[in-house]
Amino acid sequence: MSVMRDAVAIELKNLSVTYRGGEGGRTVHAVRDCSFSVARGDVLGIVGESGSGKSSVLMAIPRLLPASALVTGGIFCDGTEISSLDERGMGVWRWRRIALVPQSAMNSFTPHITIERHITEVLEHHMRTPRRDARERAEELLWTVRLDGSAGARYPHELSGGQKQRAALATALACGPDFLLADEPTTALDVITQKEVLDMTVSLVRERGMGLLLVTHDLPLAAGICDSLVVMREGAIVESGPSQQVASNPENDYTKLLIGAIRDMERPRGLEETPARKTRG
Amino acid sequence: MIALLKRVGASVLVLGVVLVLNFFLFRIMPGDPLTSIVDPRFSPEAKAQLAAQWGLDRPMSEQFAVYIREMLSFRFGLSMMTGAPVWDELKTRVPNTVALLLPALILSTALGLSLGVKAALARGSIVERVVLLSGAVSFSFPSFFVQLILLLCFGYVWQVFPLRGTTSIPPPEGPLAILDYVWHIAMPLFSLVIMGFGGLALYIRNLMVKSLGEDYVLMARARGLPHGRVVWNHAFRSILPPVLTIFLLSLPGVVSGAVITETVFSLNGAGRFLLEATNSHDYPAAGAAFFLLALLTVVCNLLADLCYVIVDPRVRREGSRG
Amino acid sequence: MRRNLSAILLLVLLLLALLGPGAFGLNDGAQAPPFSKPSWLDGAIASTIVLDAMANGNSNSATAPLAWEHSAPIRVSVSGRLESGEIRWATPSGDFMLANTPGEVDLDARDIPFKRSLGISPFDSAPNILFPTRGEYALSLTGTGEVTMRIEGGRWGLLGTDHRGRDIAALFVRGIRVSLIVGIAATFIATLLGLSFGLLSGYAGGLTDALIMRAVDVLLSIPTLPILMVVTGIWGKGLWNLVVILSVFSWMGTARTVRAMTLSLRDAPWVEGLRALGARRNYILFRHLVPEALPLLLANVALGVPGAILSEAGLAFLGLSDPRVPSWGRMLHEAHTFGAFTNGAWWMILPPGLGICLICLIFMDIGRKLEERADPRLAQAARSGALKEAEV
Repeated sequence: MSVMRDAVAIELKNLSVTYRGGEGGRTVHAVRDCSFSVARGDVLGIVGESGSGKSSVLMAIPRLLPASALVTGGIFCDGTEISSLDERGMGVWRWRRIALVPQSAMNSFTPHITIERHITEVLEHHMRTPRRDARERAEELLWTVRLDGSAGARYPHELSGGQKQRAALATALACGPDFLLADEPTTALDVITQKEVLDMTVSLVRERGMGLLLVTHDLPLAAGICDSLVVMREGAIVESGPSQQVASNPENDYTKLLIGAIRDMERPRGLEETPARKTRG
Repeated sequence: MIALLKRVGASVLVLGVVLVLNFFLFRIMPGDPLTSIVDPRFSPEAKAQLAAQWGLDRPMSEQFAVYIREMLSFRFGLSMMTGAPVWDELKTRVPNTVALLLPALILSTALGLSLGVKAALARGSIVERVVLLSGAVSFSFPSFFVQLILLLCFGYVWQVFPLRGTTSIPPPEGPLAILDYVWHIAMPLFSLVIMGFGGLALYIRNLMVKSLGEDYVLMARARGLPHGRVVWNHAFRSILPPVLTIFLLSLPGVVSGAVITETVFSLNGAGRFLLEATNSHDYPAAGAAFFLLALLTVVCNLLADLCYVIVDPRVRREGSRG
Repeated sequence: MRRNLSAILLLVLLLLALLGPGAFGLNDGAQAPPFSKPSWLDGAIASTIVLDAMANGNSNSATAPLAWEHSAPIRVSVSGRLESGEIRWATPSGDFMLANTPGEVDLDARDIPFKRSLGISPFDSAPNILFPTRGEYALSLTGTGEVTMRIEGGRWGLLGTDHRGRDIAALFVRGIRVSLIVGIAATFIATLLGLSFGLLSGYAGGLTDALIMRAVDVLLSIPTLPILMVVTGIWGKGLWNLVVILSVFSWMGTARTVRAMTLSLRDAPWVEGLRALGARRNYILFRHLVPEALPLLLANVALGVPGAILSEAGLAFLGLSDPRVPSWGRMLHEAHTFGAFTNGAWWMILPPGLGICLICLIFMDIGRKLEERADPRLAQAARSGALKEAEV
């Protein structure tokens, strides 16, 4: 389904995620039997409405789902079955090979730690970079995402939403990972910043030949950026293939609906959401 | 900075009010202070002489001036029981109290901290149940009852520890003296630790449960940082400001509680000094002990504010809370 | 059942407090030897036994037999009236003549003349002589008269006796009253004070607000236990003094909460609406704000009671309570001061101590339930209001 450009790939085989004891002790099947793969250099979009299980798929890869989640099936990275590793074993894969740009960067930085320290911390831990070099590297990275030098010395609450999201991107790139997982990386931002950050993310990923998994509810947007798409509904994949094909010639009714719905919803939603979100930042 | 200066100003004001209250509390009671401590059969001349000794024959304003001078110089005047300066008596008592409270504080804080964090990490485990139980116990069991039970078990039934006192009589010499001292304060220390750690552990557990659920802790894990680093540098460090505050604000209560602990175990400390002074209507002595406790409270409140500023960058950068 | 356990226990305690120890035939005065054990404990020791022997004109003798299976009792006394004849005490190893002169009989094994009459030195224990072994004993009266022999063996009642021979069970029941009165009255007054100061502060604002809040700061900066000690030392140790002092030093938290709540409600749209409709301030305060705050305050009262009870118990334990009023704290104070430890008298310590724990747990539980039942929206408003307060 995706064009193989590199041997290094993340592969999901029959992945299912079940949440035990949710509200009222019900079990929720968030992801059912999903299989797909993404290679280095690929940009893959996972599209679906909220509750479709797209975020669960993404968070299952670095094994960051809550303890109540039961994951079955295999997740392979570079031939290793990372789904059977323990927390310590995952430490090598997380960030060094697979980095994450979270859904809302608002709350993804530890409040009492400066932006620069977030970056140097991972450099020191994963790359054994000496403190001084790490600081230089952090400054470089922040510059790459077009944050000026003073941003590094700031605390998370002193940055705006867009700045934080870019800082999150810089942190993700710190160890030169093979893959970047991005979970609705721009939903908390206003429309203009959204576009800017997303373009920056994709161009940096392409520049470095990394693989990108982008989770979003916005099918037309994903179609514009991604090489291929996976459409999910109620935990299952309903359609997948090259972006052009999925967007212009959807086979599945749900995909058609999704394209239509978003076309109808796009403008009013943008107007409605932006001011409310802004006040949080 | 200005906010901090304001806090310092408010603290000084509070201390001033306490000083004034302290002065008048002892003088508004029915009759003069002398009637309660002096044998009524004393001759008027003897009474007058005693009154002169404590300056009670001077006009109120002059008494107040002397009182303020004595308080601020930490001499605290003469004890009505012994006639010696109150400070001299306090000097022999305070070290005993510190020797009991300091290790108790260190141990119960260490225990409360580690158990609180552990309970938050292992929800539903035995550790968490212990923390929840000890928290409830520390809020609803009187400390002296628990201490009396300990005394009954270890002092009477099993006779492992002494029933009373700070040292054996006669006190042993040389290195044995230290052992003897440790043997005497072991049980009070133990009781303070088991009654002290529960509240802190419960508080830390509640904060940690919340903190561990934050996005930034998940992200710290996503960055592949080691477990200890995620728990302590990210999750725990972010709840440090309220933990420090609650710790500092609880200090005066812990010190006041020494009155009860020292009474139960008949230890010769500053707490019992306050009790003895109150019981024998030794107003300068009681006033001094009271003033020192109030001073401690005010200083702790101020330190709590200060810590918040130092430890929480959000407050530090903006110069005020919020 | 489980849900209402606290309420039921509280009702039982209230009933016990209202009826008092007298209703159960319990007596506050000295009953038995000091430090007597609870009677259900240790069968080797005898409980108090009373032997009666009465002989009138019809029969010229009376005998009260006793099968003795215990070690020697602690106290023995014989009292009554002898008109003629003599009183003898038959033991397995020999008889003792207790009295043979007509008149009032009042013998106590501790009296030296009595010991002399038994032929032992004043330092020996008469009960050991009178009860040498196990076996059949008998108190016999030949002639006319009536006598009662009281044998006290060191076991008494449900919970034993204290250092003065008073019944612990009676003291325990009496102690409930003090804990309940102090706990409820002090918290109630404190809550009323907090409510009025909080309302005043929140609604009046300006200088009044500033003054009250500074007073709150000052009072909060005064260490509680020492000030209570000093003030009781000065104003006296009476029960009601204690209630007043406790309430004066514990209204600050409520005042802060109520103030925050008033502030957040004052600007609420519906209150503004009322004002626009021409409602006067007092009307808004007492018809709307107070009723809104009431459920939460009720929970506050219940949650505050344990603190007051613990304070009272602490002071009483330090000996700073009225010695004439038996309370649980006082009982622990006396146990500690008058040798419960050298006698191993755990029954002097456990009942009052557990009583305090129990009553605190009951009120905590009830308070928590009331809090949950109180309007959650209001609770949340108060909490966020309090948070704002802390941020200022």
